[in-house]
Amino acid sequence: MRDFKRSGPMILMRLTDYETTLLESLVEQFCGLLEADDEQVDHADSFARWQAELSGVDTLDHSDPVIYRLFPDAYADDAEASAEFRRLTQARQRTDRLSQAEVVMSALRDSEAGKHAVQVRVIELDAWLKTLTAVRLSLAVRLGIETTEDAEELDALGEDDPRSYIYRVYEWIAYLTESLLGLD
Amino acid sequence: MPVVPGGATAVSERPAEQALTPWVTIVWDDPVNLMSYVTHVFTTYFGYAEAKATDLMLQVHNNGKAVVSNGTREQMETDVDAMHGYGLWATLEKG
Repeated sequence: MRDFKRSGPMILMRLTDYETTLLESLVEQFCGLLEADDEQVDHADSFARWQAELSGVDTLDHSDPVIYRLFPDAYADDAEASAEFRRLTQARQRTDRLSQAEVVMSALRDSEAGKHAVQVRVIELDAWLKTLTAVRLSLAVRLGIETTEDAEELDALGEDDPRSYIYRVYEWIAYLTESLLGLD
Repeated sequence: MPVVPGGATAVSERPAEQALTPWVTIVWDDPVNLMSYVTHVFTTYFGYAEAKATDLMLQVHNNGKAVVSNGTREQMETDVDAMHGYGLWATLEKG
């Protein structure tokens, strides 16, 4: 783990230019998913958006399996209670996720694309872990990983399969997560 | 003759007992979340000792699910909300 070093209140993480750009784009895509528009609300108008959230209008695309994985049913056998739970928690959950993603984005920007080590403040570690996990969950849904066997099959794919690259990215995020956890 | 309490009183206690039955938060296994991360969540959020957190993580991993906390319905909604925030798959139900 030569690329990760604990330094007082920080974990210093060495990423290459390429890795930094890749991670930035993954986190950006994840944020885009949370900001997904629907027709009813003018999202450019922050007041309209705020009003919509207050009135409980759901602005997320729940037909997207990634959204469903990030905001799962809280009650296994009660759709109504699950909907009510979402109504009460989703807006805040989404705001939290976006501000955690911003912690990651801002640290990545400060590293100037591999010029400096990325500084992960230990007090912000959970923002990092939650964001990396959310990105991994999104990739897992896109890759169709529902069981351990699914992951093993992807692991065995040849390099020419387009899913093989995404799977390697997915594994790389796991490596980043494990490395950060090892230094907290 | 002293009055001996009848068995009937026990009947009236039952509904009260049931009302106290706590709700539980269940975390379900998924193939994505890392074992070390799940343990981290249990120590960080619930404040469980490393050994207990590891044990619960292994229960999730080996049995497909584990009860990770119990309390009132409101408390369990808070816990489930927090677990979802960490990306864990969690539900609540009457214990």
